[in-house]
Amino acid sequence: MAGLDATGRHVVLDLGAASTAMLALLGRSRCRVEVADLAYFGGIDRLKTHEPGPVLSEAAESLLPKRLADEAIDMVLCWDLPNYLTLNGLAALMDVISNRARPGALAHALIFYAERDMQEHPGRFVPTADGDLIDHSAPSAAIAAPRYSPEDLGKSMGRFEIDRVRLLSNGMQEFLFRLGS
Amino acid sequence: MFERGKKDDESVESQDANRTEPDRAFGSLRSKVAGRGGDAAVIGRSIQMNGDLRGGEDLRIEGDVSGTVELKNSALTIGKEGKVKADVYAKSIAVDGETKGDLYATERVTVHVNARVQGNIISPKVSIEEGAHFKGSIEMDPAAVEKALGKTVASGADTRAVPKKPAKEASANLNPPAGTA
Repeated sequence: MAGLDATGRHVVLDLGAASTAMLALLGRSRCRVEVADLAYFGGIDRLKTHEPGPVLSEAAESLLPKRLADEAIDMVLCWDLPNYLTLNGLAALMDVISNRARPGALAHALIFYAERDMQEHPGRFVPTADGDLIDHSAPSAAIAAPRYSPEDLGKSMGRFEIDRVRLLSNGMQEFLFRLGS
Repeated sequence: MFERGKKDDESVESQDANRTEPDRAFGSLRSKVAGRGGDAAVIGRSIQMNGDLRGGEDLRIEGDVSGTVELKNSALTIGKEGKVKADVYAKSIAVDGETKGDLYATERVTVHVNARVQGNIISPKVSIEEGAHFKGSIEMDPAAVEKALGKTVASGADTRAVPKKPAKEASANLNPPAGTA
């Protein structure tokens, strides 16, 4: 969020579910928020169904909100959703997003790395006032985490390139990607 | 600017003191309902409508409506059973059911828990409860909201000028699904 100044106008794409806290946080700046809620609207399954190609690209495009205006995306909030996508599905989605984003746009993602397992369903992350994230999702069964490496992600994020990576105390890796020109 | 996450059983504004003559098209559908929605005209759950729906009083939709909904100075509630596939223009909009289309409200849009909304929201106050399902964009820039609503209100001053489709009376399909009274 530090990348968004309070005076400029921004477009934020949230691939997760709409959250009151997130909207309150973004409401501090002049922005438009696009919410995809991939997990609820069937995006994860649709991206797994198709092989790379035009059909997968069309599926990825359809998962994003209809564009209201011809404004480029400045920030993408991926949360932990990349863990639930195949690398092909992730690549198709991020290709589409790359085409909607401005050069220098940021993408944030949380990747299960140290732990071998993750919850069956994506988290529902809500930011707190002091900048922490709390997962409000209901507990679900554990499944194997794909534990994507930085190399995997570097090839599957469209034109987004790794800008920063850090290991969090919960064993997840936090990635910040930046869209190349 | 925004009021989000507030449990709001008073989401629907009270009756507009300046409301106009009841829309004759819904005279036969009028009923008084308790709770949220108050003394509003009701489109019951067995009703299917296809066309341009306009009026000057509060309305609660529990049936299926597609086309355009214009209640510029009134409150619209889409009840739990309601399914609206339309761009909606109203003073305030509260959603408990399903909508597919853009929601324009000069005062407020409230998306309640378990509601399912696909489309863009343009309103000075937007509330999306945790557990609501939303895919679309929310304009949070006050200047952009004002501009978008200004255009809508300006074109809606003469409601005949708003729809690009030929104006026609709202048509109600009063054939209840089998098994309903």
